Amino acid sequence: MRDFLLGLAFAIGGGVVIAVAQTYPTMPSLQYGPSLFPSLIGAGMLIGGALLALSQVRVLAARRHAPEDPGLSRYDYLGLALSLVPCALIVFYILAAETLGAGLCMLLSMWLLMLMRGAKWWLALGVALVVSLIVTLLFSRYLLIPLPEGVLLPQSLAWIG
Amino acid sequence: METFLQGLAMVFNAQTLLVIVAAAVFGLFVGAIPGLTATMAVALLVPITFYMDATPAIAAIVATSAMAIFAGDIPGTYLNIPGTPASAAYVGESYRLARQGRARETLGTNLLCSVFGGLFGTLVLVFVSPSLAEVALNFSSFEYFWLALLGLSCSIFIAIGSRLKAFLSLTVGLLLSTVGLDMMSGAPRFTFGVPDLMAGVNFIPVMIGMFALNEIMLFYGSRNEARSVPAMAKDSVFRHAPATLRRYWRNMLRGSALGTLIGALPGAGADIAAWIAYALGKSRSKEKEKYGSGHIEGIVDASSANNSGISGAWVPALVFGIPGDTITAIVIGVLYMKGMNPGPTIFMNGGSQVYALFTVFFVANLMMLPLGYLAIRASKIFILTPRKMLMPVILTFCIVGAFAINNSVTDIWIMLVIGLVAFVLARNDFPMAPAILGLVLGGTLENSFMSSMLKSGGDLLAFFERPISAALGALVILIWLLPTLIKHIRRLRRPAAATAGDEK
Repeated sequence: MRDFLLGLAFAIGGGVVIAVAQTYPTMPSLQYGPSLFPSLIGAGMLIGGALLALSQVRVLAARRHAPEDPGLSRYDYLGLALSLVPCALIVFYILAAETLGAGLCMLLSMWLLMLMRGAKWWLALGVALVVSLIVTLLFSRYLLIPLPEGVLLPQSLAWIG
Repeated sequence: METFLQGLAMVFNAQTLLVIVAAAVFGLFVGAIPGLTATMAVALLVPITFYMDATPAIAAIVATSAMAIFAGDIPGTYLNIPGTPASAAYVGESYRLARQGRARETLGTNLLCSVFGGLFGTLVLVFVSPSLAEVALNFSSFEYFWLALLGLSCSIFIAIGSRLKAFLSLTVGLLLSTVGLDMMSGAPRFTFGVPDLMAGVNFIPVMIGMFALNEIMLFYGSRNEARSVPAMAKDSVFRHAPATLRRYWRNMLRGSALGTLIGALPGAGADIAAWIAYALGKSRSKEKEKYGSGHIEGIVDASSANNSGISGAWVPALVFGIPGDTITAIVIGVLYMKGMNPGPTIFMNGGSQVYALFTVFFVANLMMLPLGYLAIRASKIFILTPRKMLMPVILTFCIVGAFAINNSVTDIWIMLVIGLVAFVLARNDFPMAPAILGLVLGGTLENSFMSSMLKSGGDLLAFFERPISAALGALVILIWLLPTLIKHIRRLRRPAAATAGDEK
């Protein structure tokens, strides 16, 4: 079922890519313009996706007559939601780092993720604190990357340098 | 001679040697912890190497990848869980040996085979690539077009599992490579008005998303952390090794040669080298029946092959700029950033730089011996390191590492989106290597095609007019037809085999 949907997604994506590619300018002096490669890739996605979806239609049709497998029908939604937590924390970092500062955002994200898997709260807090200090030190002092310092604790890490 | 000594001096100084040791220890950790791959180790390392000189930066990558591939054997032996996919082929064999109380002996043999394989691959790199580079000097855009296409075709043909899925994965990488300003017309493509995308999608955030964020998501989705403390072995690491290696030196040589060759094929890395070497070793063995029950011979072939594959992958990467595996795909990005454009001219103009590069390979592989020995003695540390504490730390490194390349938040978004796409694709058995190759080679493919067409005035037949170009073109078409041909040959054989069976 998932292969069918993915195939469909690829086919639709391919169609969109081709449509977008047609809007690119063509130059009269050249036989092949900037739209050629995107169009070819789009066609590849369209055909490949359609083939993948069609190959699953046969499997799905065959399964409709077969007795339902309980293991297959129950999808692990909780697992999927949990696997999205790291992504949510990345978005949190992007949005909050300017105000909270990179170090604090790292600390909170790491602590939360460690607690999620049942680490002891004080141990997790300690590890998260040490790691975020090391990362901030390594990147902003040694490698001179302008990690956002935040407005809550301005200059609070000045003692590191 | 002078350039050679200059090259040596670039490696044998305190800074570079320190970087090699630190990188090797880092590779050891990442490789020994299941779920963290050697490619992930390299992708996380790149933001830091970005701020080093070329030689220590490459030294760090070589040492990390070689060490991670060996270290993958440690949890494989003790826990029956391969630390990196490259150890998966013989994990059953080494686990059974450990159950017989021979864990350290097994790892000692693994270590020696890994060092031998790495050095073998390095020798091939040293002796083959300069002469290949001389051939490559005569290449024009026509040849490079076919080479890029050959690399992409190989990555699909070699892929384990569905070729259709490998092809779709490739289209994702190719599509990403078209983002940015078009080389010929200057028209922006797929930039969605984001100025940071004008120069194209940066490799490094894509790699971090594909190989690190993706694994973190899989870890949090799985929710099990079964980790039992295994019985610790007390046997000697190296006592039986001389006898084993004397007995199976042919396997070591065969595994290394095969591994180098497979490593050099685009899209096939250390993991595929190990699987094929294990299968070949089994089929050529005098004691086939012992395979699968804890037989040390089964480890020799594959353990040499995965490390030689790591070195072999550098041959096409350095000579043609076509990566042999996912690690060298990252390396090509690093080389460009360091101003060492991969291609035949590296061997002509580089001089001391090339000698330094070769020396780094020897030093990094030899360094494996003492560090690997210590790691075997201290295996417990890696096995007891809890992933629930480690994965959040890796996520932090992903975010900061993606940001550090250009100091741009856009790169964090790119990492996030690619990580999500890779997660969906990997969970549905799409291989990742074709996507990476597509991203790295897409630009070469399009630019060589466009400049060829400019030269020939749009005549497609020009691709077959130069002799080397025509031969490469024929090879590409052969690879395309190969799956169909194999199917036909099997169909022709099957009725014959069936009638032969009836006669018995």
